[in-house]
Amino acid sequence: MLKNRSILYLALITLLVVVAILHLFSGQISIAFSDYLNALWNYDPNDTEQIIVRELRFPRMVAATIAGSGLAISGMLMQTLFNNPLAGPYVLGINSGSSLFVALSMFTGFSFFQTNLGIAGAALTGAFISGIIILFFSFKLRSTVSLLLIGLMLGGFTSSIVGILEMHSGAQDLKSFTLWSMGSLQHVTNSQLPFILSFFLLSTSLLIFIIKPLNAMVLGEKAAENLGVNIKRFRLICIGITAMYAGLITAFCGPIAFVGLAIPNLTRIVFKTQNHSHLILANFIIGSTFLLIIDSGIQLMEPIIALPLNAVTSLIGAPFIIYIVIKKLK
Amino acid sequence: MIDFEKVSIGFDKTLFHIDFLKLNPSQLYVLVGRNGSGKSTLLSTITGEIKPIKGKITLANKEISTQTLKEKSKNIALVLPKMESIPYLTVREYISLGRYPYTNTLGKLTKTDDEIIEACIDMIGIESIAEKFTTSISDGERQLVAITRALAQDTPIILLDEPTAFLDYGNRIKILKVLQDLVRNQEKCILLSSHDIDLCLDFNLPILLIDQQNQKLIECEPRTPKAKILEIGFEIF
Repeated sequence: MLKNRSILYLALITLLVVVAILHLFSGQISIAFSDYLNALWNYDPNDTEQIIVRELRFPRMVAATIAGSGLAISGMLMQTLFNNPLAGPYVLGINSGSSLFVALSMFTGFSFFQTNLGIAGAALTGAFISGIIILFFSFKLRSTVSLLLIGLMLGGFTSSIVGILEMHSGAQDLKSFTLWSMGSLQHVTNSQLPFILSFFLLSTSLLIFIIKPLNAMVLGEKAAENLGVNIKRFRLICIGITAMYAGLITAFCGPIAFVGLAIPNLTRIVFKTQNHSHLILANFIIGSTFLLIIDSGIQLMEPIIALPLNAVTSLIGAPFIIYIVIKKLK
Repeated sequence: MIDFEKVSIGFDKTLFHIDFLKLNPSQLYVLVGRNGSGKSTLLSTITGEIKPIKGKITLANKEISTQTLKEKSKNIALVLPKMESIPYLTVREYISLGRYPYTNTLGKLTKTDDEIIEACIDMIGIESIAEKFTTSISDGERQLVAITRALAQDTPIILLDEPTAFLDYGNRIKILKVLQDLVRNQEKCILLSSHDIDLCLDFNLPILLIDQQNQKLIECEPRTPKAKILEIGFEIF
């Protein structure tokens, strides 16, 4: 089993590297390999090809890697926390919180909120507020099913407010919000990468503290508590990390559906394990590979048809989730 | 091992009182009572999940309310009525989670942990299913695996909440024999709740009977007649 798993890791890491390189080359303008190397090591700010590589393609590739892996890991956290393969940041209302705050910021008319930083700040704030609301209830309720229902209601509540805001917004604001809500990796810029990467690394480093309780949680909350897991503290860290991932990704890439739901399930099927030190790494690899492939496809299809990222991930993710549900019911 | 002193058991209202009771090592006790009489509440009170309405419960010479989660996890192992099958988790991995209170931040098993897990698997006699997934074993095997995990937790006290409820007669006997062996050879204090009065009487086990009418817990001797148990605990006859 150990040898098989090593081969699997090797194959998937190779696939990730290949897919990441192909993603860099999948834009509409053909750029020579030497320009890629120059853009990295010998950058000329007056060279158009190098600008495209450095300012557009490289940040987009990093965004796809971070968004895919972050959403997959946060989905895995929620599925283990709620002991439910259909849990995810969407189900908890964390993404909806982000969307509500972005809608509020876009429709208020304050010029600050119209900037990238304003939208990012709004999405992060929304994710954290939703996370705090869920946390508040997690301290009050012992049942994770009740908490999951509250998450669903929170999502429904925020979506309704977004709907009302949309009805009363101007045409331009509505267009901006609709474009943002379709999700896209192309708006991430090179100057945003240091912030995005450090925030991502901070969220990921916190995972070290919950690998052990995550493994115990597969037994269920009661058994995990008997083994010494502090359930309230575990929920706090788990939801906190999820809000960090979901807020960061929604802020810079818009809402991306189904990755957080489908990839953790796929990862469990591929790796056949409940060991979270493996699952975290595997979700990172498979999540980022998945989104890199999807986004490469979107770029390649662009001359024929413009496809919104959120719609493509849903088109692929939804049938997979239906398969999981049917398999579970059997 | 477990000492009760003027304890009232219940969640919102008192279900029953325990004046004084001492549960000793090397002994297997059976908790008997009607549905809703408070068997699970008593077990949850011992684990510290529910606070007693009043009174003092001492575990291994320290009051429960003053024990940390880690201390409790090293004192009491809990086996639930039904071990759920967990996809992609092998029996060995499941049992190794019993070492949780003793492993480092990442949960890495030491050589000693591995030896303890192996010894527990040998002791219960489930070597043949150790590498199987928990989804591909029978209900009876699953309950043995749950007991093995409790054993790997290396606690002086093991609580079992209706461990035989979903098993056939043969498996029920097997589980009780395993528990009796643990009491004899490992000096454990084991308390299990059960509706299986006949089997407990066959095994001559001391019965703790919840008398709902008088709201008290009665300690019955091993050879207490079945009729008396039914009369007190179930108001039959």
